[in-house]
Amino acid sequence: MTSENVRTMADAVGSDVTLRVSNITKRFGEFTAVKDLSFEVCAGRVFGFLGPNGAGKTTTIRMIVGITAPDEGSIELFGEHMSHTLQNRIGYLPEERGLYKKMKVIDQLRYFSELKGVPRNQADKKIDFWLERMELSEWKKKKTSDLSKGMQQKIQFVSTVLHDPDLLILDEPFSGLDPVNVEFMIEVLSEFRTHEKTVIFSTHLMETAERLCHDILLINKAEKVFGGSLRHVKESYGKNLISLRGENFGSVLEDRSLISKAESHADEIEVHLKDGTDPQQLLVKLLEGGARIDKFERVEPSLNDIFIEKVTNV
Amino acid sequence: MYKFLAVVRHEYKKVVLKWSFVIGTLLLPFLAACFAIVPMIIFSFKGEPTRIAVADPTGKLLPRIEQNLSADRLTEKAQKAARDSMVKLDATQEEKMRNNAAMFMKDFALLKVPQSESVSADLRANLLNRILAGEIDAFLIIPENFGSADARFEYRSRKGADFISNDTFKDAVNDAVRSQRLADANISEEKLSELSSAVNFDAKGIDEAGEDRDNEGIWVASFAIGLMIYLTLAIYGQAIMGAVVEEKETRIAEILFSSARPFELMLGKLVGVGLAGLTQLSIWVGSAAVLLGFLALQADLQPILASVPVITPLMIGSFLIFFQIGFFLYASIFALIGSMVTSVQEGGQFAFLPVMIMLGAFYFCFAVIRDPNSSLSFWVTIAPFLAPITMPVRILAETPPLWQILLSIVVNAAAIAGLVWITARVYRVGMLMYGKRATIPEVWKWIRQA
Repeated sequence: MTSENVRTMADAVGSDVTLRVSNITKRFGEFTAVKDLSFEVCAGRVFGFLGPNGAGKTTTIRMIVGITAPDEGSIELFGEHMSHTLQNRIGYLPEERGLYKKMKVIDQLRYFSELKGVPRNQADKKIDFWLERMELSEWKKKKTSDLSKGMQQKIQFVSTVLHDPDLLILDEPFSGLDPVNVEFMIEVLSEFRTHEKTVIFSTHLMETAERLCHDILLINKAEKVFGGSLRHVKESYGKNLISLRGENFGSVLEDRSLISKAESHADEIEVHLKDGTDPQQLLVKLLEGGARIDKFERVEPSLNDIFIEKVTNV
Repeated sequence: MYKFLAVVRHEYKKVVLKWSFVIGTLLLPFLAACFAIVPMIIFSFKGEPTRIAVADPTGKLLPRIEQNLSADRLTEKAQKAARDSMVKLDATQEEKMRNNAAMFMKDFALLKVPQSESVSADLRANLLNRILAGEIDAFLIIPENFGSADARFEYRSRKGADFISNDTFKDAVNDAVRSQRLADANISEEKLSELSSAVNFDAKGIDEAGEDRDNEGIWVASFAIGLMIYLTLAIYGQAIMGAVVEEKETRIAEILFSSARPFELMLGKLVGVGLAGLTQLSIWVGSAAVLLGFLALQADLQPILASVPVITPLMIGSFLIFFQIGFFLYASIFALIGSMVTSVQEGGQFAFLPVMIMLGAFYFCFAVIRDPNSSLSFWVTIAPFLAPITMPVRILAETPPLWQILLSIVVNAAAIAGLVWITARVYRVGMLMYGKRATIPEVWKWIRQA
């Protein structure tokens, strides 16, 4: 199953709210790490939590998983206020993560699942299943220190899904993985996902976010910049960019009543239309001017572009 | 509760299944057994009897020497030596070995050299030849003027290095000469022992019931108990600190905190490692009991056992209780330090503080042993942090009234409650602080705010 399939499948699912964050603020002394942040995450969707380093992502996630409490505002999970019993329904993979170096893989996984309240016999079955899936079965009785870094990361992932959580929160899950393993993990993540399960992951790899997420939230300097479904976000930023290839454009591209800016790239021209300009108008003008057109395409901005623009503008 | 038990089990297994634990646990009783039993076994290999030809021209000394070397006499001497070895702690290693060895008397076969052979070069050459031929092991030529001060007893042995035999034999000869001199002075053996008997200095401690008890050995046992608790606390305290720092360093703390309450995690850690320590102590106490039981079966060793203080179940019980109290007190401090620092090395710099307190408590043990009922002893066995080490020693030296023991337990339990509360607060914040060591003002803020 590809990530695209997952997204389409989940798009069809109803919009029960798994997580509702209302006006949370967290301060550390003078420093405000998160300021008046609100958002919702719906069941069955992949939610991308984006932002530059130091934006407040990890602080927010720690509040969601109940490690710290917000100074103001409230967090509701599965319709209840955050509590320690709800922690059993969350799988959390922190950005900074580790394993007990001298412990056997099986013992660590047992311990982590016990801490999530899973009885030993059930845990063992799950462990076998996931180690098999991760192609790490023969490492079961090995010590962590014998494993490569990539293998350790897979084990860490297993430890977050063993108890079959309803909400999976992954903080920078792909950092440090080689491209093959990133693909592998995306595939595994897709399998894990079912209708009722929700995934939140934070990343600054915009390409990955674009592939996986239905919804995104961008925060910067402790505050929300924008949020919503990926399609909506892209549409609202993608109206006035045209990628153009051809010849004999004449002076049309200098017409500042339609165009705010035209940038020549290798063999294409990137045309920024003025707000409110219909691309059709430009196309008509170009044809009237006798231009020969090989390509005329309305370009969606990449999430990367939006991210950079927003973060540097704020 | 399920999670708490999971933490306890995890921490317990982590300590107990380590090689260092297994080795440490088995090694100590093994070493103790080696020190206690092996010399006895080795010295008890009785070789062939030492054959000594004695030329006694007057014929007066040989019977006395024979008598001094009789089994009864040697046993008596051995028992005296055994008692001395328990009491005299400052004895040199050589003395101790002699004393140990003296418990296992040597066999001697005395051969009388015919009277006719006078003391001459011929006699000496003859005896030397007999040694070289292997007929005898040694010879002693007693001078005729054995009573005078410049008399020379000539003893030659091909087992010159067997100092045990040599010493024993020398003592026997000495005693024989002395009693012969007395006899010559018309003082009978009975009269002598009557005249030279030591005063009967009946030095015995009395216990709380006013009954006699034996002081010998209490000093040693108290010292051993104090040292054992001190060492175990230091080792397990450091183990806790290591475990805390590991979870902080590897960032496992974040996963743990997203699964269980910090308090559960910390308390589970303390209980788990504490049980591991208790396991080790129980094994040690158990093997000590087995060792004593084994020794009790050896009839030869009765004199040693007579000096071992009476251990009551109350003593063992309070020993284990105070060990646990001490463990929780010191382990909380070590956990506190662990959650403040960023590495084990950094923690080591702070660990001197609890270790100093422990060491202080250990030194107070000497004051307690010397005078278990002084007011100093009272206060140091009630005071938090000191009591876990000093109280078991005091109980062994002279059991204080029950209310004092209970008071000590209550005071220290209150200290534990306060300390665990503080540690839990520092733990939950400190464990998520990476990269820099917490300062004291910061820690103080966490305690007040958290």
